[in-house]
Amino acid sequence: MIDVRALKKTFKSVTALDGINFVARDGEVTGLIGPNGAGKTTALRIIYTVLKPDSGSVYIDDKDVGTERMAVRRRLGVLPDSLGLYPRMTAREHIRYFGRLHGLGDDDLEQRIAGLSDELGMSDFIDRRAKGFSKGQTRKVTLARALVHTPHNLLLDEPTNGLDIASSLAVHNLIRNIRNEGRCVLFCSHIMSEVAKVCDRIVIIAGGRIAGAGTIDELMEQTGKHSLEDLFLALTGERGA
Amino acid sequence: MWQRILIVLGKEVTDNARDRRSLLTALIYPLMGPLLLGLMISATGKVTVGGDPSGMNLPVAGAEHGQVLVQWLEGRGINVVPPPPEIEKAVQRGDAHVVLVLPPGFDEDFAAGTTANISVVVDSSRLSAVVTINQVATLLGEFNSENWGQRLAERGVDYRSLQPVSLETVKVSTGTQISEIFLLMVPPLFIFNLFMGGAYLAMDTTSGERERGSLEPLLINPVERGVVVAGKFLATLLYTGVAVVVQLIALKIAFGFGGEHAASLSDAFGIMTVLGILLITFPLMAAAVGVQFVIATVTKSFKEAQTYLGLLPLVPAIPGMLLVFAPVHIHGWMMAVPTFSQTLLLGQLLRGETVSMVHVAVSMATTLALTAVLVTFAARLYEREALIFGE
Repeated sequence: MIDVRALKKTFKSVTALDGINFVARDGEVTGLIGPNGAGKTTALRIIYTVLKPDSGSVYIDDKDVGTERMAVRRRLGVLPDSLGLYPRMTAREHIRYFGRLHGLGDDDLEQRIAGLSDELGMSDFIDRRAKGFSKGQTRKVTLARALVHTPHNLLLDEPTNGLDIASSLAVHNLIRNIRNEGRCVLFCSHIMSEVAKVCDRIVIIAGGRIAGAGTIDELMEQTGKHSLEDLFLALTGERGA
Repeated sequence: MWQRILIVLGKEVTDNARDRRSLLTALIYPLMGPLLLGLMISATGKVTVGGDPSGMNLPVAGAEHGQVLVQWLEGRGINVVPPPPEIEKAVQRGDAHVVLVLPPGFDEDFAAGTTANISVVVDSSRLSAVVTINQVATLLGEFNSENWGQRLAERGVDYRSLQPVSLETVKVSTGTQISEIFLLMVPPLFIFNLFMGGAYLAMDTTSGERERGSLEPLLINPVERGVVVAGKFLATLLYTGVAVVVQLIALKIAFGFGGEHAASLSDAFGIMTVLGILLITFPLMAAAVGVQFVIATVTKSFKEAQTYLGLLPLVPAIPGMLLVFAPVHIHGWMMAVPTFSQTLLLGQLLRGETVSMVHVAVSMATTLALTAVLVTFAARLYEREALIFGE
């Protein structure tokens, strides 16, 4: 479970987050959506411990992001905004490197890599060096890297960006499976149809504040709109975005 | 903790072993200096060979006019040979280093006790001819003073009364070859290489990693940033060490090019000396990597880091370069100056002088202290948020 409380963050004169609260529950896929520059990536970065908030706190399974960083990181799998790979290392070596840093033993690790390779359809490039990987291949490697330690909580920033239809569907299935295992998924996307399809609840963020939160049905009722696009515009538009 | 440091270290070593540029700076660049020195040593080795001129072939034109001189030369073991055709052109081409030209009437003038003329044809711009020219000049000088002394004696004058000073050169270096000046060039070359060997790795693992966008995912792993810095630091140190060892081997080989005439040079790289060099310069390797890390972390881009790290090796090499031309007397305080102390100690080791253990200890301690400061600073820089996202 990811519990975000009164988070504030300012970069010089720009207020990126102006006191946001939300919860992403276990056994649910929570969609974090908002216009460009709304503060989504900043919020994610604070949750996955690379940024410190000016005030407020985040708890991952009751572990404080501010004081129990290592415990938090062990419980998190992150597909971040930056997808950099090492061009001279193979896909397998990338996943292995992160698995080892998570303390996985060799046998478990190799099994896990084989499993992820099957699940994500990576077998034809798993032993190729990353230089020249397509965007889709790169995203699969970074996704596998985020999942290698079977984290209880998953943060995914645009996980299907650049993937073809078949691969996107594979990722959607993967996300559902993780949810069905009772794990927690926080999902960022710009594709409303994908959000509608995958997410159980959504949190809409605009101008560094929470503009709305709940199931899609709840939000439709609240706004009187009949599509996700319309309610998104209605909620974020109120704040002039 | 060590296990995770080793994981990062192993990844960086493997990753960079696949990189042409990392290998080039660690394995090939260190060979350049020794190669150049080797060529110079081999060239000057030939130049400085042989103080004793006996056995030399000396072309003499008009030998029949100056039998006195020819016989005297042959008495000194010189082979007087016929001159090449077109004397001046032959000397210009380098076919002959020196040709003596004796004019008609030489013997008559000599016998008459007057001054007999000789022309000496040389090309003094030709380095390889310098030794022969000196030898011939010395021989002719000896011939002159012998006969001059004899003529004065015949007139009842002691020639020594006309010679207020007698010159004799006493060499103080342990060896005898001019080419030992090359030993002075080793410390700056060595220090330059030491600051170059791991430079590419330092950039690739810090600013390179940030620019590729692989730093953020790496730092989300449950690993302290100090562990990441330590792994990367050790990988860079390893590549620096490889570059240093490669260069020492190359220097040992290069200093063998002088052959038996420069035996003292190849002796300079005995196994104990090499071990001593490694001991004395190990702290400097660590300090060099520390500086590289700080620079590669504070600079905003790979290109900027490349500019600074490319120039960096020149700075610590400067004292050594100056010492080639103006040696200094070693004082204790100099040992507290990293890079300068190693330059001096390296010079002492190579010249076969006794090295003070106190000096070594001070040099190592101060350099390690500097390293500790630099590494702590680099690790602090890694804690900044700006590290990942730039400024």
